Amino acid sequence: MSREQYTPPTLQDRNAGPSSSSQQSQTQQTTSQPYTGGGFNLTAASLDALGDDSRPIHYLCGDCDARVTLKKGDAIRCKECGYRVLYKERTNRMIQFQAR
Amino acid sequence: MTMAQPLDVSRYRSERHIPWAPLSAEEIEARRLVQINAETVTHTAASDFPGHYGPEQDDSWVVERFRQGLKVDFHHNKPHDAAFSLVGIDASIANAFRRILIAEIPTLAIEDVFFLDNTSVIQDEVLAHRLGLIPLTGGREGLDWLHWFHRAPSKDAFTMQTASDGDETTPVSTHNDYNTIVMTLDIECRWATVEKDGWDGKKKAAEGDVAPEEKYIKSNVYASDLVFHPQGKQSEYFSGENAIRPVNPEILIAKLRPGHRIHLRCHCIKGVGSDHAKFSPVATASYRLLPQITITQPILGADAKKFARCFPRGVIGYEPDAATGEQKAVVKNPMKDTVSRECLRHDEFKGKVKLGRVRDHFIFSVESTGQFESDELFLDAVRLLRAKAERFKRHLTELEEGR
Repeated sequence: MSREQYTPPTLQDRNAGPSSSSQQSQTQQTTSQPYTGGGFNLTAASLDALGDDSRPIHYLCGDCDARVTLKKGDAIRCKECGYRVLYKERTNRMIQFQAR
Repeated sequence: MTMAQPLDVSRYRSERHIPWAPLSAEEIEARRLVQINAETVTHTAASDFPGHYGPEQDDSWVVERFRQGLKVDFHHNKPHDAAFSLVGIDASIANAFRRILIAEIPTLAIEDVFFLDNTSVIQDEVLAHRLGLIPLTGGREGLDWLHWFHRAPSKDAFTMQTASDGDETTPVSTHNDYNTIVMTLDIECRWATVEKDGWDGKKKAAEGDVAPEEKYIKSNVYASDLVFHPQGKQSEYFSGENAIRPVNPEILIAKLRPGHRIHLRCHCIKGVGSDHAKFSPVATASYRLLPQITITQPILGADAKKFARCFPRGVIGYEPDAATGEQKAVVKNPMKDTVSRECLRHDEFKGKVKLGRVRDHFIFSVESTGQFESDELFLDAVRLLRAKAERFKRHLTELEEGR
């Protein structure tokens, strides 16, 4: 599996069942069931919607600091100044840490 | 050759303690003292258990006597700092309260941090740790209502795994509105511009202005930037002034420069200080014993001045001496003494002063981090110890009944 195809395991995979969908949880709320949707619903999809997950990858020019958008097969070159060193941006995937 | 002298009983009585005679009031009072000498500390252990002072002395533990002896006296009681005297209990009980205050009263703290973006100079794990240590507060009723979140035992923590083996009473929790508080932090730094802020940050920088607050917008991330998102039933408990918020809004979390962004989401859960210090409800909870200074012979004139200077200000005062008319040193407020033993180093006070501490007079100092009030925390500690004692008793009965 390539790095791009890999999706990190989520809470959803481990606790399949009560928190399967946010709509379901919304209706459960009226029948005094614990509410597990919304803010707790941290699936890869819902978090990617918060981040930016468009296919073209963004880079930063090493010379003029401009944002360069490259697609597959594009020349590795800044569109503003022609500099050939580009820096990759931080991943837009969610990263979880324990506050310890 | 002289005849053997008969034993001088009166001398014997006065110099040595006769264990079977009933104790005088002074002797009973002296039992309460830890004696502090120039280089040693003696009589540290409590001796008020049955049989220690002979058959004439009744040292059995009676609830009624305990009730009469117990005294609680508040010196100051502020929400973040309380000091009070607890008189008439054993050191083991006082220490149990202190340890429960530090490690066993549950509080709410940030536990999981989900980073969506962090392009600041502070690393994700460091930032997560900083966030965890921020004291949070909110409606008292809601905090009591919040349930525990039972985390799955860590795969590398062997002891935790074995401890939970075969223990089906605490299943692993899922995050829901009963046990998890959600907070977010989304902040981006930029240059100040004329359109948005009324002044040009870049121009100020060119003019030589070095203050980041003048050049940039949102260059400092404060605890007040954390946004609470009530989930489900939480809006009933945490709304308006009861909302979950940092106790100190001006805690600096990170510093940013234009283009830096921090976007994260936190899950806060209830926990105890024995798990992690961030869950401890107190900054410190400590006690000391009440110092006792006994002046056995009058200290007069210049000596009295010197004597007073051996102690912190306010401990020793002056009184005119009836016999000589000189100023005499008297003990005014032993509570303020730090027991530095400085007075024992000077020859002029030799044999004139005795230092000690009252063994069953605990001066507690409880400093809350702000989630709960300090005096309430102590009451919680008492409740918790009581609940533990009851649980222990229940288990003992079960053992006796062979269950």
